[in-house]
Amino acid sequence: MGETYGGALEGLRVLDVAGTIAAGYCGKLFADHGAEVVLAEPPEGFPTRHMPPFAPGVSGPEASGMHLYLSTNKRSAVCRSPDELLVLARGASIVIDATVGDDRPLSTTQLAAVSPNALLVSITWFGQDGPYKNFVATDAICQALTSQIDWLGEPNEEPMIPSGYQAQFTAGVTAFVGAMGQVLARELGSASGTDHLDVSIVESNLCFTEIEAIRAYKGLSTRTRIGVNRFRTTYPLGIYPCSDGWLGVTVLTPRQWSGLCQLLGLERLAAMPKYREGAARLRDADEIDRQIAESVRDRSAKELARRGQALGVPLAIVPTMEQLVGVDQYVERGAFGDVRHPDVGTVQLPVTPFRLYGCPAIAGGSVARLGADTEELLELAGVSQ
Amino acid sequence: MTTELPEYLQSIRIVDLSMGWAGPLATRQLADMGAEVIKIESCTHFDWFRGWEASQSWIEDNQAEKHPPFLAMNRNKKGVTLDLSTERGRDLLLRLVARSDAVVENFPSTVLPKLNLGYEVFRGVKPEIVMLSMPGFGSTGPWKDYRAYGSTTEQAAGLPHLSGRPEWPPTMVHIALGDAIAGLNGAAALLVALRHLKRTGKGQFVDLSHAECLFPLGAHGIAEQALTASAPPRLGNKSRSYAPHGVYPCEDGWIVIQAQTEEHWTGVKALVGEHLDEFDDPQERLARSDELDELLATWTRGQLADEAMLDLQSNGTPAALVRKSKHLHRDRHFQARGVWDIRDREHIGRIPNAVAPYRIGGRALEIGWPAPTLGKHNEDVLGQFLRIGKRHLETLEHDGVIGQRPRLREAAKG
Repeated sequence: MGETYGGALEGLRVLDVAGTIAAGYCGKLFADHGAEVVLAEPPEGFPTRHMPPFAPGVSGPEASGMHLYLSTNKRSAVCRSPDELLVLARGASIVIDATVGDDRPLSTTQLAAVSPNALLVSITWFGQDGPYKNFVATDAICQALTSQIDWLGEPNEEPMIPSGYQAQFTAGVTAFVGAMGQVLARELGSASGTDHLDVSIVESNLCFTEIEAIRAYKGLSTRTRIGVNRFRTTYPLGIYPCSDGWLGVTVLTPRQWSGLCQLLGLERLAAMPKYREGAARLRDADEIDRQIAESVRDRSAKELARRGQALGVPLAIVPTMEQLVGVDQYVERGAFGDVRHPDVGTVQLPVTPFRLYGCPAIAGGSVARLGADTEELLELAGVSQ
Repeated sequence: MTTELPEYLQSIRIVDLSMGWAGPLATRQLADMGAEVIKIESCTHFDWFRGWEASQSWIEDNQAEKHPPFLAMNRNKKGVTLDLSTERGRDLLLRLVARSDAVVENFPSTVLPKLNLGYEVFRGVKPEIVMLSMPGFGSTGPWKDYRAYGSTTEQAAGLPHLSGRPEWPPTMVHIALGDAIAGLNGAAALLVALRHLKRTGKGQFVDLSHAECLFPLGAHGIAEQALTASAPPRLGNKSRSYAPHGVYPCEDGWIVIQAQTEEHWTGVKALVGEHLDEFDDPQERLARSDELDELLATWTRGQLADEAMLDLQSNGTPAALVRKSKHLHRDRHFQARGVWDIRDREHIGRIPNAVAPYRIGGRALEIGWPAPTLGKHNEDVLGQFLRIGKRHLETLEHDGVIGQRPRLREAAKG
């Protein structure tokens, strides 16, 4: 962390004993805004240190790209005993674990003894109680139980699992919101003492589908799987190949529909009254898709997006991973920052996605080697190694 | 029925100009913790999540009060109508802003300037105001005026290049992924800025880009590209690292099974049978994953998804049935955790509200009241809080500055 930086969350001390992606992202939001975040790691390092992708030529616990992304501006201490953990927890505002039940690294009672107003944040797949509390889970398990997966893929084939760690990142932000609410409440004097925030990853993911529960409860129709990039009743909604990449299209209103048709030379479709409604267009989606695809195939996605937007049509390029860091919009906004690690070197990764102009987050930053701060953190606290 | 909101953020007041999904989800999370969120609509420009195809019969049937998306995003807020295109409506808004901590908006970039409103104007009446602005691509850069839905931002964040089968086009994972994610981040941004305000007395402009909020969801792909100069391949439901990994057919639906460790694999085999012994080597499982998937599907086809999930889970294997939306509110775990707080709401009756996805000291944050009907709290906020007299309120209502029923706009919505 920069020596002179005083971010919005300066003065907060966060101890991560979890080592998961959800906890790592929650902690990253604290660290990038100026809190002191300490990873209390086992000797082999956190699980996130052993997750792909890996930096070529770097071995062991320093190679993980996921860990790199999650760990900017944090400190790392190898913690070998419960006593050492108690030392690290002294003065902590927040301790994050990933434990269900009573056998946790630090109990609220232990925490209260070393830090009187602290919050224990447990980010677990299903929360601390309920019939699934001991289920073994992954991101896809949460996405299946919250109906997200049921919407994806071809209707007569198996549903599709989204790639990556969407469920955990969603829970990581949610845990940050819950924890920050408690931090602020304590500073405002409307809460006090030690408390336990029980964050459920699966429940965090209901934000994507909760509207459907109301529909179902009221006996209304609910969303089902109708095809790749097809979602009732918005149409056109899809991604089409162009001469220089891919074009993303979304059309909701009659004006957007006529704008798209004008842009693509499909005025004939715009002139058909029945196509004023998305549901009717969706019924003929295969044929309309064919015409859109043919119209955009030899044109530039970048140019179509720019011209479409000028007509009020929400179009965008769909950049590949290779193109993403070079997209004008993201370059100009500094959406990627330099992340530095002593073994990996410097790579460009996304910065915190909101800009606080009065107290900016650290863009990028340094990532500590496993145990880089053990000596300092434990010796400073009076524990000899 | 009304319950008191929790006290945590009771001293925070937020003027919420946002509509649709992202902005209202951001402020909902603070309202759940007790912040006073004053939601501003007008009778002609009401939240488009109330419905976007208004007609006279739609109004007469009170459809603006029945649309599930609106009901889901706006509980625990106070509903106030103000026609911001009138001088009196605008003045009342500024009087509210002068006594608030934050303003939230997610309009296209042209809307507030047309109303002669914006950060500088708000700062003029409340120098330490926090303003959270949430356009699709943020408030700066060549795309700052681009129109975007939650699908547009998912596309522009590059995420579709990471999911789906290789023969499919880049594949989206939600109809409006960017909205919910931006809503969560909006709450995070507000809380950070509010802490700064309370510590330093300084407000600020907060600029949130929906598209950038989605980057973490693609972090595995972005990091792989950054480290290895190539992107991860799209493999459909398969994994590069382990098998079985997929969605399998059951008698009554589908089940996700992901055996990532030897323990998980042992759990599968104990149920499916010893004929899987030849796949005990994890490399063998990966190399022959098609064959393995077929053997597993032969077993799952004879199972009920819920029973297979429970059996696999009791063997320590990650498995879950693919829940259909229509059964979401009936899940036994969600019911046991009290996830659905069922409340009565005018015009529609009882509806389930998903409580905040965390418990504090074992307690859920109870819902205080359901989403407000249009202008429901005019008297409470304008009358009692701003101390506008009854006759003045009647005049405002008569002149259409405030009201409690939608009215059709003169021009069609674009």
